[in-house]
Amino acid sequence: MLEQFLNALPMALIIIGAFWMLLLSRSTHFTLDKLNFIAVSFVLLSVLLQFVLFNNESSKFLFEDLFGNTFILDKFSKIFDLMFSIGTILTLLINRDYFKSRTYFNGEYFALLLFSVFGMMMLAHAYELVSLFIALEIASLSIYTLVGYHKTKNISSEAMLKYMILGSLTGAFFVLGIALVYGAVGSTNLVEIRDFIATKDSNELRLLILGMSFMGVSILFKMGAVPLHSWLLDVYHGAPYPITMFMASTFKIAVFAVAIRLLITLVDISNIWMEVLQMITIMTLLGGSWLAISQNYVKRMLAGSSIVHTGYLLIGISSIGLGSELAASSVMFYLIAYFLSAVGAFGILSFIASRSSKQMKFDDFKGFAQHRPYLALAMSIFMLSLAGFPSTIGFLGKFYIFTSAIESKQIFLAALGILTAFISVYYYFKLIAMMYFYESEEIEQKLPLDSSTVLIFVMAFSVVWGGIGTSLIPFVPGADGLIDIARDATKSVG
Amino acid sequence: MMIDNILTNIIFLPLVTATLLGLLRSNIFLLKVGAIISSFLTFVLSIVVLYSFDSDGGMQFLKDLSWIQNAGISYVIGVDALSLVLLLLVNFLMPILYIYMYHEQRKGYWYNMMLLQTGVSGAIVSLDLILFYLFWETMLLPIFVMIGKYGNGHRQFNSMKILLMTVLGSMSMLFSILYIGYVHFETFGVWSFYLEDLAKINFQAKTSIILVSGFLLAFAIKIPLLGFHTWMAPAYGSAPTPAVVIMSSIMAKLGIYGIWRFGYGLFETTLNFYAPTIMTLALMGLLYYAIRAITEPNLRRMFAYSSASHLSLIALGIFLTNIYAWSGSLYFVVTHALASSGIFIMIGLTYKRFQSVYIGSLGGIASKAPKFSFFFAFFALSIAGLPGTGGFVGELLIIVGAFKESPVLGFFTATTVLSAMLYIFWMLQRVLFGTANNECEYKDLSYREVIMLSPLVILLLATGIFPSFFMQIFDSQLITLLDLVISNGKGL
Repeated sequence: MLEQFLNALPMALIIIGAFWMLLLSRSTHFTLDKLNFIAVSFVLLSVLLQFVLFNNESSKFLFEDLFGNTFILDKFSKIFDLMFSIGTILTLLINRDYFKSRTYFNGEYFALLLFSVFGMMMLAHAYELVSLFIALEIASLSIYTLVGYHKTKNISSEAMLKYMILGSLTGAFFVLGIALVYGAVGSTNLVEIRDFIATKDSNELRLLILGMSFMGVSILFKMGAVPLHSWLLDVYHGAPYPITMFMASTFKIAVFAVAIRLLITLVDISNIWMEVLQMITIMTLLGGSWLAISQNYVKRMLAGSSIVHTGYLLIGISSIGLGSELAASSVMFYLIAYFLSAVGAFGILSFIASRSSKQMKFDDFKGFAQHRPYLALAMSIFMLSLAGFPSTIGFLGKFYIFTSAIESKQIFLAALGILTAFISVYYYFKLIAMMYFYESEEIEQKLPLDSSTVLIFVMAFSVVWGGIGTSLIPFVPGADGLIDIARDATKSVG
Repeated sequence: MMIDNILTNIIFLPLVTATLLGLLRSNIFLLKVGAIISSFLTFVLSIVVLYSFDSDGGMQFLKDLSWIQNAGISYVIGVDALSLVLLLLVNFLMPILYIYMYHEQRKGYWYNMMLLQTGVSGAIVSLDLILFYLFWETMLLPIFVMIGKYGNGHRQFNSMKILLMTVLGSMSMLFSILYIGYVHFETFGVWSFYLEDLAKINFQAKTSIILVSGFLLAFAIKIPLLGFHTWMAPAYGSAPTPAVVIMSSIMAKLGIYGIWRFGYGLFETTLNFYAPTIMTLALMGLLYYAIRAITEPNLRRMFAYSSASHLSLIALGIFLTNIYAWSGSLYFVVTHALASSGIFIMIGLTYKRFQSVYIGSLGGIASKAPKFSFFFAFFALSIAGLPGTGGFVGELLIIVGAFKESPVLGFFTATTVLSAMLYIFWMLQRVLFGTANNECEYKDLSYREVIMLSPLVILLLATGIFPSFFMQIFDSQLITLLDLVISNGKGL
């Protein structure tokens, strides 16, 4: 029993932290900075525990005698836990200055963020559809609130309303899907669903397939795949920078964690959806590129480009569905790659936003390299990685995705992916060109060395290290080590 | 240590120097000294490579380290005659360029040049396709920054243009690379991108035709062949002199090298399928570029077209599979690189003196600045293929090769020499002679500039007068490669 408590502790710490923050938020003793510190220490403690428990495989399910097969404890979910908690720590620390510069932040912000992380962790562990839905809603509801956190700003409220209404609508699809699946299988547990698929012939699977398709709609909406993407640009634009960063990096990963797990469970019948999925992928890649090209704001460009990255990931997802063995790990690797680069890019935007009230169009970046040479360098590294330039981790991510696509005979998708990668060079390099190719009147400013800048440079270094690094530094996985971890993790799902 | 990993040192010495100096936030003087020392060191090292190079030995100085094992990507480098020639060229030109830009005070300029050197020499010696792709893209970045930041005219637009067009090529190449890797995985069960492993694959005819097109698009844009050249004149016009020199003397040649190394290395027979198309494009380009060069009023753009015309000749040469054309092509790669870097440096010096590179605003230089005029005329004439300079030998061999193939082809090829004479002499007449219609003071070459230019002159003369001495470095390997290509091509 004690063992079981230990396994639950990383998640429990987060939820305890969330309630604790809720209590502290009304207190006048604590400044925002102190609250931030407390929140970080809760997540950090959880991260340390996760590291300790990483190789502990004493039990397969959490509280098996109590919950049954509801929450699985495999490597896959543990990796995602780590990514969520590290993403949260980065969000909290990199945006410290941003919190201080805006008056509308208060203590509840941290509580909501932790609730959302708790939801995501539960999502990664969930092995049963109802708890999966609850986890998804815990994560989403906190994020709806966070998006509209700037109450007096119109676009922020608009974004929240848009996201919440559309999100709840597709959430209803998810519930309907669960109901249909339950009607077919008589259980919502993934183990039993898999057994059901294995034993029944295709005539009896119709209801299950219909249910799963409804669930797929909801998942595709959360990913921002193209026919369901209309919320994404406005929401990313309307949300405060820290939230955009959190959504683009951390929450996106959580949705893909669900998608990978469901698809691997359903791999025997996943062929049915693949043609539809491929069409959606094509639309996502092209539509996302179109949106990203036509933006004037850097934030909106990054939002549009995040749709394109969803497209790349969907290539990998359909490779999983077609039975490519490497695909799941390449999707995971791509998620890590995108996570690192997106967190860095949004981090720099938030750093700039905390020091000025600029709207940050492309034109506002003219001459940025002159007065902030180091940040401009870091930003260029993130842009290169997002564009998939070699010697960054983004290139290896694309490398794995495209090779797995070729492996599963989706030559057309691989070629289209490479074409959109070419298009993406335009909008990412546009920012680099703005930063470097124009003169600025401002003089070079001294770079403050605090948590946010240090972390941004750590991210920039790891983006490069993930692209070229070997196992030179012990305990720090390089390009080779990361894909090993990802393969290890995806093996544990099947 | 220095000698054991000699190629690695040649590649990474500039980058390491740049990184160290950057981290130490060194001042501009230290940066200059560091760059120059590193360039001289790499030059010495490449001479060592040449000295211990065995001209019958195939691939040498091989270094094979595993890098990303899961994906079969390894760090494999080595030189054979083809890459040695280009490697020597880069490391020979780099110190000269550094001396040229000695008064440059902007730090970014120097960092970019060092990064560029690493990218270029890495691309030359790498034998793993992904490694090659890495360096191939790496060398594009500094060019992009140098045109966009330090260029002139519509620099931002032109740098974006060259970036996008070249990346389009590289992306198509990337697709081919990934597919080849997969074919290797399918046949042998392991991933590998090492050229030697990949050469063992027997591609299906249809697959290989598509795969080759990916590579050829990248190289055709880099050379550039007719139809893929729209980036060239604007980029050459906007770029600062060192970038132009590298683009025309090294990067364009890397396109040729790529066809040689990867085209003939992997798909000997399939290349024949594209040979008529490319030869037609090259022939048409040869004439088209020459005509554009005649009508161009801007010196930089004029020599951009002239250089493209000559590169079309080289591209034609490597598709004529006979030994005259091949050794002529390789020889012309070197001598044209020397001559074009000379002329582009001279154009840079012209700009420094007269603030203009338009032929119309120049004139009458010969009477006031004799040394300047001598060097200018020498490089211009060696581009035109003046007998006694290396360019003549290369051009002549390719033309002989073309005649061997067919007299009609030979006739058209020979028109390059004629047209080159036309635009060069007309240009010289207008720039160097005639009345001085410029208000600037006419400063002759300083000692530094003479010292910087004389190695190029000496080498051009030496390659013109003793061609057999230089050709023995690569001839035997070239013949082996050619035999291989011809014997494989028979089956088609």
